[in-house]
Amino acid sequence: MDLDALTGCLASSACLVTQTTSGLIIGMLLFLVAVGLTLIFGVLKVVNFSHGAFYMFGAYFAMTAYQLTGSFALAMLCGAAGTAILGLVFERVFMSRVYGADVLMQLLVCYAFVLIFDDVVRMIWGPEFKSMGMPAAFQVVPLFIAGGVVPPYYLLLIGVALAAALVLGLGLARTRIGKVIRAAAHNPGMVSALGINTGLIYGGVFALGGGLAGLAGALAAPVRSLTPGMGFSVLIESFIVTVIGGMGSILGALIGALLIGLIRSFGSLGFPLFTEGLMYLFMVIVLVSRPTGLFGREVA
Amino acid sequence: MLEIRGLSKSFGGVKATDNVTLDFADGSLTAVIGPNGAGKSTFFNLVTGALKPDAGQILLNGVDLAGRTPPDIVRHGIGRAFQVASIFPSLTVEETMLAAVCADQRRAGVLHRRFPLAESRGRAEHAMELLGLASKRDRIAATLSHGDQKLLDIALALVLDPKVLLLDEPTAGMGTEERWRMIDKVRELWEKQKITVVFIEHDMDIVFKIAPEIIVLCYGRILATGAPDAIRRNGAVIEAYLGTEHHTGAVA
Amino acid sequence: MTELKAGRGGEALGISRTGARSQRSRYGDVLIALAAFVVLASLPLLFGSKALLDFVIRCSAFGLFATSLNLLVGYTGLTSFGHGMFFGLGAYGYGLIMQRTGVPIPIAFVATLVITAVVATVIGAICVRLKEIYFAFVTLAFQMLIHSTILSWASLTGGDQGLRGGIPRPAFFGIDLSNHVHLYITSCALLVIGLLLMRQITQSPFGYTLRMIRDNATRASFVGIDVWRAKLTIFVLAALFASVGGIIMALFVSGAYPEFAYWTISGEGIFINMLGGVTTFLGPMVGTVLLLILNDTVTRLTEYYGIVLGIVILFFAIGLRKGLMDFAVEWYKQRRDSEKERG
Repeated sequence: MDLDALTGCLASSACLVTQTTSGLIIGMLLFLVAVGLTLIFGVLKVVNFSHGAFYMFGAYFAMTAYQLTGSFALAMLCGAAGTAILGLVFERVFMSRVYGADVLMQLLVCYAFVLIFDDVVRMIWGPEFKSMGMPAAFQVVPLFIAGGVVPPYYLLLIGVALAAALVLGLGLARTRIGKVIRAAAHNPGMVSALGINTGLIYGGVFALGGGLAGLAGALAAPVRSLTPGMGFSVLIESFIVTVIGGMGSILGALIGALLIGLIRSFGSLGFPLFTEGLMYLFMVIVLVSRPTGLFGREVA
Repeated sequence: MLEIRGLSKSFGGVKATDNVTLDFADGSLTAVIGPNGAGKSTFFNLVTGALKPDAGQILLNGVDLAGRTPPDIVRHGIGRAFQVASIFPSLTVEETMLAAVCADQRRAGVLHRRFPLAESRGRAEHAMELLGLASKRDRIAATLSHGDQKLLDIALALVLDPKVLLLDEPTAGMGTEERWRMIDKVRELWEKQKITVVFIEHDMDIVFKIAPEIIVLCYGRILATGAPDAIRRNGAVIEAYLGTEHHTGAVA
Repeated sequence: MTELKAGRGGEALGISRTGARSQRSRYGDVLIALAAFVVLASLPLLFGSKALLDFVIRCSAFGLFATSLNLLVGYTGLTSFGHGMFFGLGAYGYGLIMQRTGVPIPIAFVATLVITAVVATVIGAICVRLKEIYFAFVTLAFQMLIHSTILSWASLTGGDQGLRGGIPRPAFFGIDLSNHVHLYITSCALLVIGLLLMRQITQSPFGYTLRMIRDNATRASFVGIDVWRAKLTIFVLAALFASVGGIIMALFVSGAYPEFAYWTISGEGIFINMLGGVTTFLGPMVGTVLLLILNDTVTRLTEYYGIVLGIVILFFAIGLRKGLMDFAVEWYKQRRDSEKERG
């Protein structure tokens, strides 16, 4: 425990800015992953325990695409699109078989795929840590805001994530497809009776959720190291975020992710060894007082 | 003697139960009727502890049970059967009865002996016979027919030796013949066990044939109480429930 | 949210519950237990293989853990994702007591159980009132919290290195646990006694109270059962048996490691239950043996253990949709029924 480091930082505007930015990008990446998780739960009523794998594949796809083409934009696209397709296939072929089954069953199917995907990545890319490296366009002088260091890439990341959040939120609320998805969440039978292919909707939601997680992985690739187990810790954290924010709530995922991001970044100053513990403690506190999360609704 | 005094419950702005005051005499048989949404099930929920009333008293032989927990209320002697049979699907009929008696005998937490306890057999056997389920004792509850499941549901309430038995639409989901058989069974139980029985029912033929006493609920309030003839002639009841076009002769 | 349909008669797993039908008495179970113990105890005499003894010891540890988890999942309908925390608590509790204090082993054993009971009561009191999936989440959260605490409180627990330096094994009642055969026999004894006690729980009136809660908790309360208290009781009891499993593990490796409290232990527990089946009492035991055999063989053949295990899980979850013991019992019943028909 190092409370002096923490209080010292809170007093210094430079440190405050650096840590807050760092917390924001952790939070934004988490948000992209968590929003997919919460969407899948809200519409399909399924907890996708293999969601971390999409994050992982997004990163690896992006890295490979960048190594092949040298284009950052293409890398991002590959990361997101590749995982979206993966999500679609995964849902149609496997997850659709365990809807309506026990949580146990779904957990096991997802757990199976976590194991399989991790090994597949190990086989294709090898078990060592890999890195994509920062694309040339972003190898610029960092910005100095109030004395704190802010790499421009971080701003891009935050911007992309916020844009995604906006598009998602508005899309679900205003567009026809959004309405159909929300209807399917409430009453799939009715939606299907109206002649709408619910299978396509489910596949689409999974593709969307997976794609967002993949986007997060792709965005993270320049600033994190890649390893077959990377999906795991992200999964646990995004899980915490969704649970804290409320399963099924996009706003909850955003708030929850920001909170966790900040707890992580400031917490690692004051409690370097217990940072994870802080998150779990926070999760326990929230769940005990509000089991459905900050913004969650009781799902019947 | 079950006395309800000023029982009220609101959900949001809606008064589901509005200042209900009633008396149920010992050993009486009463039907509760009313249009959908009248608050009949809510009333049962309040009396059995599934819901906490906003105001009012529920006096069973002088003891106020309002706001207590379901296990507590059951202990005091109010039993309930459910509209949709609420049973234990994986247990056999016999196991269901034995387990219920065991719980009622305060032995639900016994760890050092084996189930079933010898002292539970008597009451369990008696309840199965009363409901005609003894021949199906080894059937797993989930495999019973709908009617038998409703019987098991009633048995689960009866086996606890209640002083008052609340039956929520005992004939729900049944065809006409089966319905009469069920209601005959209910009447038979009432006569044999000498307990107070209150039942919710939608089939007016049955209600007016069987029940000595009828209560009409509407929008959470009591519209009328009394013998079948009086109810049949009650203008407010006819208008609110049976409809002004309805010929009273049809419900004879 | 998908309802935990184990609460509706186990139909979600596609099995009709048959476990409750056996009318074997208490004495029958004791005899079976004795016979099993005799067989196990004679293994060191018949086979000289240390690997076999090690295997059985590991089966004892995980078998107790998995069976205790089934008390929650299969019999009460409480799906805990954090049950592994008690396995870890058992290992660390026992290890720390033995390392730090000089008490004899039986005292340390009892003390560990007491600590586990206290922790389980506190955590259980918070968790059991929550519904299904929220219960699962919070138990997982608590487990990860405990795991994080173990990792960060390095001065007490050795951090990510685990408890080093070995755990002292002073002799007691003539039993010397540094002797491998003694350790083996003790593990078998703990396993058999543990299973026997858990069997008694499931076949007692309380066991049927749990089944009622699993099938229909609302109706159970209308029958006069205090559902919260019953759930808390079984939560604590299950924790105790899980921690005995942890103690065996600590004795076996003469230490305690953070992995013992990691959520993968809970995950493996759930997987074992799926493999072996949740509707029979011995299903989890069968599942334990299967998983450990799978573990050992696959890791020897290939470094890509994950893919193999994943495929096996899929086979059971999507293909068979039930555990091995469930399968066996159903097959047996079908044969018996068709023979009856043939007359």
